[in-house]
Amino acid sequence: MPLNTQLIGKTYDEIEFTVERDRVNQFADAIGEQDPVFRDPEAARAAGYPDQVAPPTFITVIQLMTSGQVVLDQDLGLDYSRVVHGEQSYRYERPLVVGDSIKATPRLASIEAKKSNEFLTIEAEVHDAKTGELVVTARSTLISRGTGGAKWPSR
Amino acid sequence: MAVQVSFDDLKVGDEIPVRSKVVKREAVKAYADASGDQNPIHQDESFAKMVGLPGIIAHGMFTMAHLSSTLTSWLGDPAALRAIDVQFRAVVEMDETIEAGGKIADLDPETRTAKLDVWVRLERAGVTEYPIKNSTAEVRLG
Repeated sequence: MPLNTQLIGKTYDEIEFTVERDRVNQFADAIGEQDPVFRDPEAARAAGYPDQVAPPTFITVIQLMTSGQVVLDQDLGLDYSRVVHGEQSYRYERPLVVGDSIKATPRLASIEAKKSNEFLTIEAEVHDAKTGELVVTARSTLISRGTGGAKWPSR
Repeated sequence: MAVQVSFDDLKVGDEIPVRSKVVKREAVKAYADASGDQNPIHQDESFAKMVGLPGIIAHGMFTMAHLSSTLTSWLGDPAALRAIDVQFRAVVEMDETIEAGGKIADLDPETRTAKLDVWVRLERAGVTEYPIKNSTAEVRLG
């Protein structure tokens, strides 16, 4: 069944998140990141940062809370087992560091049918919760396989 | 640590150092826990096959993390990475070796910004696949 295109433009709940050292360490371990600026607060301070830097794709951690709201929206009609990640973009104003509090409001920017698939684009501007400054702009495109009009193959 | 790449040394067509990595199932499990993305296609072989995949696949973001790490390691300073924009075009299976790379596509002397074409590739049964292709990064240099 096609997705509910009436939801295009809908904004979801603002989420807040604090960048914690344990989570950054866990993330750096999982991706095999060895650069000291991402591992060691002293090395990061020596490089001019206030604290240990989060790897550039760490922002995905909050996307589970931003894009997650869209994916789970009952009115959208998305079957998560049909979803694959199609595209991801980040525009950085500055790197995230441990101790940052950030907030983001996700928005369902578009739903487009292409052949048998539908492409959902979710955007979120991530701001510093204290100063309000823009930190990162994130845009994700998810592909809903087989809901774009052509028949989904039976299995 | 300062930016270790000088804008003036770059030419269109230059390639950045390629970095390769073997994708292990334990690392993908650790990534699921670290990122919070517990989709069973990244952990459960029979579930992955049931939904039409060849087996467990890595998260697209796991592969993108290797690309961004390749970029920041080349740059020497994460603040120099201004933007990254990727398309996920092929799956990465367990124990495959992924290679991340990039090539200078455009240079803007006014802002000392370089645009790169970036990719992640692997060899599978004698064929080169691109889990990340048609993708770009923007870096600002000293």
